Parts: sequence; C-alpha cells; structure tokens
Amino acid sequence: MMRVGVVALVLAMATGTRTAAQEPQPDRTLPAQLSASTRATLERLIDSARVAGLPVDPLYSKVREGVFRSADDARVIAAVQRLGRDLGDARSALGDSAAGEEIAAGANALRAGIKPADLSRLRESRGRRGDHPLTVALVVLADLATRGVPPAMAAASVNELVARNVSDGSLMSFRQNVERDLVGGRPAASALDARTKSLIDDAERRRP
Amino acid sequence: MSEPDKSPNPRWLNEISDELREGVPVRAAWRSRLLDEVAHARRPSADDTYDDRADDTSVGIPDPARPSRGIVLRPLTALAAAVLFAALGAGVTYATLSARGGTAVARSDAPRSAGRGTTLASAARTGDRDDRETVRFTLTAPNAAHVAIVGSFNEWNPVATPLVRDPATGMWIVSLRLPPGRHVYAFVVDGNVKADPAAPRAADDDFGSSNSVVLVSGSAS
Repeated sequence: MMRVGVVALVLAMATGTRTAAQEPQPDRTLPAQLSASTRATLERLIDSARVAGLPVDPLYSKVREGVFRSADDARVIAAVQRLGRDLGDARSALGDSAAGEEIAAGANALRAGIKPADLSRLRESRGRRGDHPLTVALVVLADLATRGVPPAMAAASVNELVARNVSDGSLMSFRQNVERDLVGGRPAASALDARTKSLIDDAERRRP
Repeated sequence: MSEPDKSPNPRWLNEISDELREGVPVRAAWRSRLLDEVAHARRPSADDTYDDRADDTSVGIPDPARPSRGIVLRPLTALAAAVLFAALGAGVTYATLSARGGTAVARSDAPRSAGRGTTLASAARTGDRDDRETVRFTLTAPNAAHVAIVGSFNEWNPVATPLVRDPATGMWIVSLRLPPGRHVYAFVVDGNVKADPAAPRAADDDFGSSNSVVLVSGSAS
C-alpha cells in the first residue's frame, strides 16, 4: 500500500512538472524523404553537437533546406558536417558563454571568410559592454564579406564600431549604406572606410 | 542440421533476454531532452576531490556509522501528498496555459519590415514567454505569378507561406509572427529560389544560392 502511495506521489509530481515545462519547440525530427541510413548518420552528428553544447536548430534547418532544394543525401550530410565544424569553431572563438544565436551568426561569418581571431577580437571589444549580444555585429560582418568586402577589412571596421558602442540599429544602417555604395559602383574599401568614419564621427558628435 | 543449444538456460529464457537486449525506439523529443540535459550537466573539474563518505553511489553497502536517509511514509500520508502534488501540478499547468492564451489574444504588434533594420526592434515585454514579433516580408516582383517564403521558421516548406500580391504596387507581402532569434530564409519566385535583396545575406551556399537573414530581438536592444 505504501509503495502504491509513493508511486502515485512520484507520478503526480512528474506529470505536473512535465506539463508545466512544455514549450512550443521547433520541429526536431528529420525529414522522411531522407534514407534511414542518412537519418541515422545525421542523428549521430546532431547528437554530438548537442552533447558538445552547440545549438542544434541550425543543423535541423540545414537538413530541411537540403531536402527543400532537392540535394542528395551525401550533400546534406556534408553540409551538416561542415556547419557543425563551423559552429564549434565559432564557439571556441566567441567563448563558452556565447549564446546559440551568436554561435550560429559566428559560424556564418567564418563561412564568409572571417578569421576566428577576428571573432575573438570582436568579443573582447564587446566585452566591455557586459552581456549585450554580438549577433547583429556578426550578421553585418558576414553580409559585408559575402558582398565582396575583403574579410579582414570588414572585420576591422565592424570591430572598431563595436568598440565605440555603436548601436545595433546603427550597425544595420551601416550595412545598408555600404551595400548601397557597392551597388552604385563604389569600390569596397572606399565605401567601407567612408561609412565607418561617418558613423564614428556621428557617434562622437552625440557623445555628451 | 540445426546447431545444438549450448546455453545452460532454457530456450524461452534466452528468447526473452534477446528481446530485452534489442534497442528500444525512443521518441525524438525525449531523446532530444535527455541529450540537452546531458549537455548542460555539470562537468567534473580538477578541483573535485573524491570523498568516500560523500559518495552516494555506494548504496549497496550500508554504512552502520551513517544514519539512514530513507523516507518512511505512511500510506495515508503518501496518498495525501500525492493528491496535493497533483493539484499543484494542475494549478501550475492551468496558470501557464492561461497566461499564454491571454497574451496571444491581447498582443497586437505593428508589423515590422524585414531587411530594413527595423526587425531589430524589441517586442514589448509582457512578462510571459511569447515574445514573438510580427515581421513583414516584401518583394517587388510585378511579373511573378506565385511567390512564397521558405526558411527556418516554416521548416523550409514551399507551400506553407505564400505571399499575397498587392495589385496597386505589384509588391508581394506577407506578415509573420516570429520568435526571437536569427532566422534564415529565401523567397521562391515561380519556383526559383531567391535571396531577399533588402536583407543581410547568409554566407551559407551549400545548396546553390545564398539565403537571407532576419533578426528578431526578444529583449531590449
């Protein structure tokens, strides 16, 4: 009788806790279009990333993107492996305290050609501002490098802006302005230099 | 010719043990949760010292010098506690669900346009966990017959989220409620995948063309 009571107690606690903790989670199943062996391989890769403390939603998204784009299984596996490595490298560069979004954005910046040392420098510069995330700066960095701005130059500019406490909104405007200049035919180095100086001057003027 | 059975156990016992050795299918959500907990479990550090008196794993050998930690419950006490915890669990669940439902109805954010930098603005903090933000995606494609959006927020499903054409401007528009975070997406214009020309680009071109990025912030920035 006592055992029945204890079991009922444990069940009641487990049910209440589990139901209250349920959150709308992203779909973390693998598409049925992939073969069973591919799904097993992907599950192993994703489990390894999860155990390493890396964000796994970008990996699931990569799988689904591959299926949507009709990529063959080998290509999907290769893409997930590569992204997993990039996520690990980004986390190493940004530090263990980096948030999942920062790691994902950092991985993307690495893919765009930014060096891990540049990510670490960015983290050091932002470190003075407490826990404000670097996601926007990393997204801007990846975008600039993808549009043809030399990665080292893009990293130096964004790092300088971050070190001067330029806001996320201003960073996004900076990206748009550089993009506009590039579309207008201005050389990347010239566009980046001019827009960086303009933003720094603006920040200096606003300083009390 | 069948091989003689060398096992000392009866056949029925071997069959049962074989069956028990086979892997048990586990739901993906449970598996995912378990591995998340493993990932977040405290890792032993070099500073940890072994203390056999503090080792709770040696449950098989009772130490007469240590008082028993067992909990003795009377049947009626256990039953009363079970009822109490069940009521507590139901109460927490009800409170959680009520808070979510009420907020979903009460919230009415003005849509923000993707790719214009405004997606960085924060959703109003309401004290609950639903800090999704309405983001408006637009694409100028006056000659297109069909435009949809695919991305990490709709499982890259090309039929899940079509855009609607504004006949006056020729612009294709859709507004989506997105959770905070970094979302990767692309447009599908008459079957062709196309990055959003107004948004930051993602550098991942594993499958051909590159995608776009939209950031939704759930906290003040």
